[in-house]
Amino acid sequence: MIQLQGVNKWFGDLQVLADINANVARGEVVVVCGPSGSGKSTLIRTVNRLEEIRSGTILVDGRNIHAKMPAAELNAMRSRIGFVFQSFNLFPHLSALDNIILSPHRVNGLGRAAARDRAMTLLERVGLANRAHSFPAQLSGGQQQRVAIARALAMEPPAMLFDEPTSALDPEMVGEVLAVIRGLAQEGMTMMCVTHEMSFAREVADQVWFMDAGRILETATPGAFFGAPQHPRAQRFLSDLRAR
Amino acid sequence: MLHNAIAIVSENWLLLLIGQYPNGPLGGIAATLILSVLGIVLAFPLSVLIALARISRWRLLRAPATALVYLVRGVPLLMIIFWVYFLFPLLLGANVPGFATMVCTLVIYEGAFLSEVVRAGIEALPRGQMDAARALGHSYPRAMRYVILPQALYNMLPAILSQFISTIKETTLGYVINVPELTFAANQINNRLLTKPFEVFLILALTYYAVCWSLTWVATWLERRIATRRAGPAPIGMMAARA
Ligand SMILES: Nc1ncnc2c1ncn2[C@@H]1O[C@H](COP(=O)(O)OP(=O)(O)OP(=O)(O)O)[C@@H](O)[C@H]1O
Ligand SMILES: [Mg+2]
Repeated sequence: MIQLQGVNKWFGDLQVLADINANVARGEVVVVCGPSGSGKSTLIRTVNRLEEIRSGTILVDGRNIHAKMPAAELNAMRSRIGFVFQSFNLFPHLSALDNIILSPHRVNGLGRAAARDRAMTLLERVGLANRAHSFPAQLSGGQQQRVAIARALAMEPPAMLFDEPTSALDPEMVGEVLAVIRGLAQEGMTMMCVTHEMSFAREVADQVWFMDAGRILETATPGAFFGAPQHPRAQRFLSDLRAR
Repeated sequence: MLHNAIAIVSENWLLLLIGQYPNGPLGGIAATLILSVLGIVLAFPLSVLIALARISRWRLLRAPATALVYLVRGVPLLMIIFWVYFLFPLLLGANVPGFATMVCTLVIYEGAFLSEVVRAGIEALPRGQMDAARALGHSYPRAMRYVILPQALYNMLPAILSQFISTIKETTLGYVINVPELTFAANQINNRLLTKPFEVFLILALTYYAVCWSLTWVATWLERRIATRRAGPAPIGMMAARA
């Protein structure tokens, strides 16, 4: 579903992605972890081309999203990949409901009534039907992130990307967001998720990718990775994480 | 002296208010306000276009827009009035009335200044807003229209209003090309009375002050309202009203 082949990216003379080769199969959940600045955000941002790359290909559903193509085609490809940000990035001038309606209506040309029905169904699913008319500033962080997930799902994407979806949240709100993501995993959504929530990764992930300094140093099942990490850097990273 | 001023106002209030209308062109405060409103209302869409060109990826749009903004900001308003006054009739091959000349001037001048306000408003938004819109599949123009501009312009309302206040003060320069706005009316009165310039121009100053001060007050109020709205959870009453 998502294939990264020989991906290299530089910010000026800093190489932030170095020869990335990895695959996410359809229905698979990949958790990406690694120390701060290792390139995790950059990696998943390249998958829907929020960041350009210098070389390599990234196939999404068999098509290279980094190929030269008309803007309209890229927009169409992007609309098929959900993206959830660490800082939610809800549109503050729109209610929760309108945040969700906007893109199916304006990008896919879905009628307002149909888009509204779909949005209400999604809000129910993330447990926020009663907050449909609230503005983002009136919602807690956990609620905002759940709306953001619903907003991404409204485009009916076959794959979802999450960049530290819970790390901006107060601890008591982490669970409600992870529960929604867990539900998606159970339904077979293809997902890449940057997170340091170990128990979540153990339970939901099919693979863990460990990144450091722009490279994927280790690819393993969560059991193997958290039980007996191979790479010394991964060992140190995990012991630091547990010490926190 | 106060007595004199009151007498002048009571004899000339109609002239100060609407000029010689309906026997002559509309003037006075009415003309000043119409000039300012027209100037800012027409300048506004222009300023959004200039701002978008200024932040465009394409040099072909960016360079001329930037040049225009620097040029207009770098010369006194009076120069632009003269250019428009002498150039437009030449270019159009027809007489351009003073009022229209002044509106054109204000649109160019305010357009350039407002575009900087709009650009600042766009650039002040967190980058995540554009990212989120693009990630959902919006094209750049759609992201601008539905996500970025509504927020930027809302945040910019107080700044736009204070630009409007400057515009009111700038219309006084219409006097030099005989646009019969408020200053022109006051000067007419002064020329007729000859002996009371202090009173006449005191009245003029107070009138401008009253208009601009009340608008400044509105701008401050608006600014505070927007700040509270942006700050976070609204009070229960407001939530109920919006739901
Ligand atoms: N726009 C940018 N311009 C220049 N350098 C950047 C930019 N974005 C990120 N970097 C650098 O690229 C490297 C990787 O950043 P990235 O945000 O992908 O790391 P990360 O693994 O997501 O870190 P964190 O856990 O802190 O989110 C870092 O060294 C960062 O400083
Ligand atoms: Mg990151």
